[in-house]
Amino acid sequence: MATPIFVTAASIAAELHQAMLEAKGLALTAKNARALAVRAGSKTVGFKAITHFIDELASDIIRQSQYINGVSESLSQQAVALWRANTAASKFEWLERQQLPWGESLRESMQTCYEERERLSQLLHRGLRELEAQLEEGDKHIRTANLIATSSKVEAASAGDFRAQLEVIAHNITITASQIRQHLTNARRLLNQKQV
Amino acid sequence: MQATVIYEDGDHRWIMFGRDANKSGGIIDTNQYMIQSGDQAILLDPGGIELFAPMLSAVLKFVPADKITHLFASHQDPDIISSLGLWDQALPKAKLYSPWLWESFIRHFGMERIQFCPIPDEGQTISLGRIQLQFVPAHYLHSSGNFHVYDPKAKILMSGDVGAALEEPDAPLYVDNMATHTPKMRKFHQRWMPSNEAKQDWIRRVRQLDIDIMAPQHGRLFQQKQVGEFLNWFEELPVGIAVR
Ligand SMILES: [Fe+2]
Ligand SMILES: [Fe+2]
Repeated sequence: MATPIFVTAASIAAELHQAMLEAKGLALTAKNARALAVRAGSKTVGFKAITHFIDELASDIIRQSQYINGVSESLSQQAVALWRANTAASKFEWLERQQLPWGESLRESMQTCYEERERLSQLLHRGLRELEAQLEEGDKHIRTANLIATSSKVEAASAGDFRAQLEVIAHNITITASQIRQHLTNARRLLNQKQV
Repeated sequence: MQATVIYEDGDHRWIMFGRDANKSGGIIDTNQYMIQSGDQAILLDPGGIELFAPMLSAVLKFVPADKITHLFASHQDPDIISSLGLWDQALPKAKLYSPWLWESFIRHFGMERIQFCPIPDEGQTISLGRIQLQFVPAHYLHSSGNFHVYDPKAKILMSGDVGAALEEPDAPLYVDNMATHTPKMRKFHQRWMPSNEAKQDWIRRVRQLDIDIMAPQHGRLFQQKQVGEFLNWFEELPVGIAVR
């Protein structure tokens, strides 16, 4: 069954909101990792460097999620407006077929309504393409996150006494990255399903 | 949607719309009214969103869209005015008269073009074409901000939910026998009307009006004799008690 765009867009916004929360968790992980790396001293210099990347990545993801969130929220609003214009337009089209004595007197309102429908539907298509591009951008972040997770594991292995703790952190990064990826996949799946 | 002219004198007309055989089940049957005078017309309680297309179609058989200059919503209920978002697209230059109390709520139905004209608590008189219309206070009957419309020339009172009865779509237009009609009204009034005090105040007010037809938003209309009988019946009926 086809889902109305305003529902889809709102659901995408919700997925991206979740992704943003995960990214905030990632930023916290980065902070903990840095504190640990500082305490661990020279053996964890590599790991410490990585935490900067994690930090940067987290704030990139947060920024981007917020942006996509904004796009999908206004998309959802436009879709509601389009749905209303469509509803009115279909009533007008029905009225036109009735050949009413005073049917012509509606001409101007009908025209305005049809034009508004056209404008909104173009706006919506542009918005959907923008959303698609942004989600692709999000995939790049995920690839970066996976790289970081792998390097963290490698660095953790040579951190002596701190190995276990750093491995937990490396593991956290992997988990978070895969959760964010899941939200992005969900968002893309929503975007690709049949729209009305 | 059936249309019935209930009053006509030159270009001054009252038309009742309702008894819609095509309306989907589960929706309460409603009476909509249009008053015309000169080159202006007002729709009284234009109805729910489900009714918009048949209503507009019925109306355009009588007047062109740009002559529908006014809308009136006696109160905020969905069966009264949930069609507003669509009228807003059809009649962008119209004015909506409605209780001031409900403005910020009624706007939730969607209103970007139509102009909201708040009716003050004490009521108001407006001109429509060559006639005058009075918005008569009917607060708490049943809504906390509520008006009826009185046309002193046609001697018609549009009484909103007061006098409402739940009827079959093929019921006659006018009440013929009060004894058989009151049972159809009793529960509705006892449940929906919350205040005996407001009820008495309204009866006092309405007894001063010269009424040939009382036209409620649901069910049959009352002619002169039955209006008097209705007021007596309503006066005796304790309201706001149906949940006891
Ligand atoms: Fe009501
Ligand atoms: Fe009603």
